[in-house]
Amino acid sequence: MDFGDATVIRDLSFDVRAGETFGFLGSNGSGKTTTLRALLGIYQPTAGTLHIGGKPFEPSDGARLGYLPEERGLYKKEPVLDVMVYFGRLKGLGKAQAKAWSLDYLERVQLADKAAANLDKLSGGQQQKIQLGVTIMNAPELLILDEPTKGFDPVNRRLLMDIIEEQKLAGATVIMVTHQMEEVERLCDRVILLKDGTSRAYGTVEEVQEQFGGTVYRVGYDGVLPHSTLYDIALDSGGYAELAPRPGAGQAAVLRELVTAGAGVSSFTTARVSLDEIFIRVYGEQDQPAEVRP
Amino acid sequence: MSTAPSRSASTPPIPARRPAVRWHNLGTVVGFEFFRTTKKPRFWIATLAIPVVTAIVFALIFVSNSSTSASADAQKNAALSFTYTDASGIIPEAAGRAAGGSKAANPEQALADVKAGTVDAYFAYPANPAAEPVQVYGADRGVFANGTYEAVAKQLLMLAAQADIGSPQLTAAASGNIKVDTETYRDGQASGGFGAAVPPLMFLVLFYVMIILLSNQMLNSTLEEKENRVTEMILTTLNPTTLIIGKIISLLLVGLVQISVFLAPVVIGFAFFRDRLSLPDIDLSDVVFEPGPLMVGALLLLGGFLLFTAVLGAIGAVMPNAKEAGVVFGPLMALIFVPFYAISLILSDPRSPIVQVFTYFPLSAPVTAMLRNGFGTLSPAESIIVIAELFIVGVLTLRLSVHLFRYGSIQYTGKLSLAKTLRRRPRESAGK
Repeated sequence: MDFGDATVIRDLSFDVRAGETFGFLGSNGSGKTTTLRALLGIYQPTAGTLHIGGKPFEPSDGARLGYLPEERGLYKKEPVLDVMVYFGRLKGLGKAQAKAWSLDYLERVQLADKAAANLDKLSGGQQQKIQLGVTIMNAPELLILDEPTKGFDPVNRRLLMDIIEEQKLAGATVIMVTHQMEEVERLCDRVILLKDGTSRAYGTVEEVQEQFGGTVYRVGYDGVLPHSTLYDIALDSGGYAELAPRPGAGQAAVLRELVTAGAGVSSFTTARVSLDEIFIRVYGEQDQPAEVRP
Repeated sequence: MSTAPSRSASTPPIPARRPAVRWHNLGTVVGFEFFRTTKKPRFWIATLAIPVVTAIVFALIFVSNSSTSASADAQKNAALSFTYTDASGIIPEAAGRAAGGSKAANPEQALADVKAGTVDAYFAYPANPAAEPVQVYGADRGVFANGTYEAVAKQLLMLAAQADIGSPQLTAAASGNIKVDTETYRDGQASGGFGAAVPPLMFLVLFYVMIILLSNQMLNSTLEEKENRVTEMILTTLNPTTLIIGKIISLLLVGLVQISVFLAPVVIGFAFFRDRLSLPDIDLSDVVFEPGPLMVGALLLLGGFLLFTAVLGAIGAVMPNAKEAGVVFGPLMALIFVPFYAISLILSDPRSPIVQVFTYFPLSAPVTAMLRNGFGTLSPAESIIVIAELFIVGVLTLRLSVHLFRYGSIQYTGKLSLAKTLRRRPRESAGK
């Protein structure tokens, strides 16, 4: 995917399996939103297509798609219910069906009293709830959510995650862009990490953790942390460190190395490397690239 | 990528997409756009303002004419007292007396009587009224009522001429006060004259009314999605062509509603209160409805509306907001008035180069061709060419507008680069 002379996405290819929740991870400007827009035909890709069920995707070909874009927006000067019914009808629902669904949804997200209010009278978070409702009202088979919890408080974030989880349980395939690693760990079956428009990691959460060392040793110490051929220092904050063992370096060997070197070990535990740590490791390597827009 | 073929969800079951989904969506867009405009109080405030003002003006005219009629009756019964001197010797004394006048012996005294208010007026007829003005002196009755003096002075001269000629018909002919009915023929058939020009010219009036009323809404039709950040939701929900055509149709319907509301008081006034409202006494039997010019006028109206709507939609898709769009909007609107700078040439010399340019340049073509169609100077061949041109350019511009909307309206904050956008290939030809 090129914008002028800049190549924003390079040779990116991935599968999302039916019924799974797929995490699309990356720092700002890494190409997540651009990839989604290109897949959906909002940007014309230099090359490449989105295939659903083996067929090239067209917005109007009848695929039940729900897309919550990063740039949120609906018709702000119109009443909430009118806008929901309008989109419901465009997505194939009858008028009465769309209205009934919308009222139920508004009840659930505690906005029933706002049905007749214009959208611009709602807070940003409330508008996002409406937009999520519009996104899922046709029971989409493929649900694409670009930072769905952006701007939500913890209570509403939990409500939103519950709704997404329901969609997943009901059989929807979900692609989710997020910076919230706890959301990924709670919901995602598989993930892809993008950096500078290329894939840095791809697979199940466990497989990605394995790609980045899988196991990490958390060490409390009060001396000098020695460098060693047995491990890499993933994090050293003076008194606490996380060590990524190199292949073949067992727990006992690493602990012995630390004690022998006089590190003054006060605690030593084994843990899987967290997605947060992987994220920092991947994106902390250099300055983040600037956002590129066409 | 593959997806589950079916699913059970808490959301309602969705019917299979019908083959006619595009028409369903078109109807949905038209309904949404039409009703969200017409449901707003400000739409009706703006729309009803004109007929309300018209009704108020009509009411004032009605009341005013009633009192004017009463005072005119009173004036008619009140005789005008005047004196006159006649250096020409052509005014019969009997006619002067019959009109309520008397011959004055002394002009100075006659003028003094007027100033003193003992007579209403004094007319001094010169020796040669054809070469010198008749002097009229009268008591001031107001700008309009003072005209009575001149009318009476002239009437006396008419009576003098009639008495001398001895024939009212010749007197009328001599004064130019005669009516002429002209009938002309085209291709062996009687042409309708000015009465035939009126119906096709109504399409020009409709065109102006619709453009003036709706152009701002046309411009905003594609700007709105961009300004509300709703473009991505739209592009993944329905075909942008369906959206834009739906918006154009709804605008057309909104325009028809507004025009109907505007015309209602005029039609009611003309039908029931024509005399009391001093409306022009149009003899509708003089109006000739010729099918050819009417059809050409209707097609020119539709083609012109399509073209201007598409152009304004394209501008909306390119510009980031209404303020910047307004910079282009003004000059574009001026183009529909430009043909009136050459109105005399359009009417008298339709073959002149400037009229030909205006006839075929797409943005000036609707107005110029509708004028020429009304006045019968647009040949059938020219009609076909201009209509075809308007529809072809209109459809191409509409496609451009859709393309710009599809690939340009996602650019929320900046002005769209036309060159970059036009370089984007259709989806079907994109690489795999």
